[in-house]
Amino acid sequence: MQLIKITVSSAVLASCLLLLGCKAGGDHPGVEYAPNMYHSVAYEPLSQITDESAGTWVNSLDNGRGEYFNSNQYNQYKMNLRLPPANTVRRTANGWLPYRAGNDTISLRAADKLINPLDSTEAVLLQGKFYYEAYCQHCHGAKAGGDGLVAQGAKIDGVDHSAYPGVANLKGDAYQNITEGHIFHVITYGKGLMGAHGSQVSPEDRWKIAKYVKSLQKK
Amino acid sequence: MMKHCLPALAKFLTSLILILFSLSTFAQEISKDAAVIKVGEELFNGNCKSCHRVKQKLVGPALAGVEDRAPSIQWIKSWIRNSAKVVASGDAYAVALYNEYNKSQMTAFNSYTDDQIMSILAYVKAEADKPEAPKGPQVTADGGGAETGASISSTYLNAIVIGMVLILVLLVIILALIISALKKYLDQKELSDEEKEVVHSPITVTTFFQSKGFIFVVVFLVASISFKTVIDGLYTVGIQQGYQPKQPIAFSHKLHAGAYEINCKYCHTGVMKGKQANIPSPNICMNCHTQIKQDSPEIQKIYAAIGYDVKTASYTGKQKPIEWVRIHNLPDLAYFNHAQHVNVGQVECQTCHGPIQEMEVVKQYSLLTMGWCVDCHRKTDVNTKGNAYYDKLIELHNSKKAMKVEDIGGLECAKCHY
Repeated sequence: MQLIKITVSSAVLASCLLLLGCKAGGDHPGVEYAPNMYHSVAYEPLSQITDESAGTWVNSLDNGRGEYFNSNQYNQYKMNLRLPPANTVRRTANGWLPYRAGNDTISLRAADKLINPLDSTEAVLLQGKFYYEAYCQHCHGAKAGGDGLVAQGAKIDGVDHSAYPGVANLKGDAYQNITEGHIFHVITYGKGLMGAHGSQVSPEDRWKIAKYVKSLQKK
Repeated sequence: MMKHCLPALAKFLTSLILILFSLSTFAQEISKDAAVIKVGEELFNGNCKSCHRVKQKLVGPALAGVEDRAPSIQWIKSWIRNSAKVVASGDAYAVALYNEYNKSQMTAFNSYTDDQIMSILAYVKAEADKPEAPKGPQVTADGGGAETGASISSTYLNAIVIGMVLILVLLVIILALIISALKKYLDQKELSDEEKEVVHSPITVTTFFQSKGFIFVVVFLVASISFKTVIDGLYTVGIQQGYQPKQPIAFSHKLHAGAYEINCKYCHTGVMKGKQANIPSPNICMNCHTQIKQDSPEIQKIYAAIGYDVKTASYTGKQKPIEWVRIHNLPDLAYFNHAQHVNVGQVECQTCHGPIQEMEVVKQYSLLTMGWCVDCHRKTDVNTKGNAYYDKLIELHNSKKAMKVEDIGGLECAKCHY
């Protein structure tokens, strides 16, 4: 009788303690339910597991690797993420070809002559505003006055954090006569202290932003 | 007579010219008038600040002392109005300057009047003469603000607990008084020996612990607590809510998304385009961090990953990936697409990811269980406004009630599981 009592109570205690360990938090991701349905067999760009022994305990494979391993062993650092091959065009680019002018002063000057392929419709300007707010506003400010929060510096818990130097005031005299082509080129490659944003903003969206910036300058 | 007069006249004329000349150079003198400096400051901030600082080399040279360094004030004026022309004229100083700054051409400000340029110079000189300001407090990566809200509520809790303990003590005292009163009352009555023994049985620690009431209370408490932990524990299996792993670089969303209000899409570029929101590649970090916090050990990790040499401000080509720890691990058996939710559904990032802009270290905020998904699909109205795709659907169904996501197939199994 005594023995049964002890075993039952210790079993209850042990299961409580074990189940406490299931909870996620900190570096512990928590216990997975049916783990071999959780991990992608196909290569996943952002959740790859490079450890070959990961998941051997639920293994259903006979290739000597763990169930969770899903990295490309032939790539450097076993990376699944790949850069697109050179000189290729994205299929889903809606006919937009890559911008081929180089990152040099001659191209910068030539870009002044580029003509925006988009019309100045309200829809284009609205989209331009949307992308301006996503990609430009934190530096150049809502009204293009070069007074975004990044340009001004921010305060957290009373500690000043640095401001980015040299954000262009697009309403200043020097920028009044820039063309949409110039804006497009500068978004693509950056200029002065501005970094290149060609990898973040698609050519179509860059033209929309250029249209919106010109409309901001007139305000 | 005339012979004597001529040299005197010439002397007078030359001195007059000299005076006039010195007057004209006096006009070139840099003003110290506060009003002029104020005008200059506005012009400088509006037009020059992108590339120039007074005491720091940026895209262009630091401007402190430019009035002494440059060939002449007149030279500065023509340079500002059209530097390309000055370089083209073969001016040695101009050509050297142009070559020193990687042949990057300064924007031409040909609309500037003499007064405007002089006011800018006045501002530059005033700034340059200012004594060095003491350095501000060093910025550190860890925020760790005091949680005042939590401490207030915890003091309240303590007060409540202390109050309850006091009440319990009072109750014990009252009960003891009642027992002694009852004993006195029973002693006055005629009792048998057995009954007397019961009445006068001493309350010791052993009798207390062996009493049925005590055992019942203890067993009940242990059973209910263990039942609760078992159920709670079982519910946490397969749920990663609260997962907050340490990342290879101590990136703070509180600083970038919160204080600087940088749009989420700026870095998570895939969120409107594809299944994944994307972890930004270091070249996006470098849009700012070529300049900002170059000395921070955390930023050095970015430089190491992208192969950037701060000293020469150039890329070495030696790259290695930053191995961020994925926080939101949706099981492979469920399909989720960011573009669909953000583009068409116009769901805010915070709806699922929580107050990211307040997180120093990001954690999984939502449950990400199927019940959680389904719940939202049942409650959320479809935003059909201005979306021609839905026009016919609304017309056909002719429904008065707003369409929920479940009405357009948001609960179909194969939408997410296939």
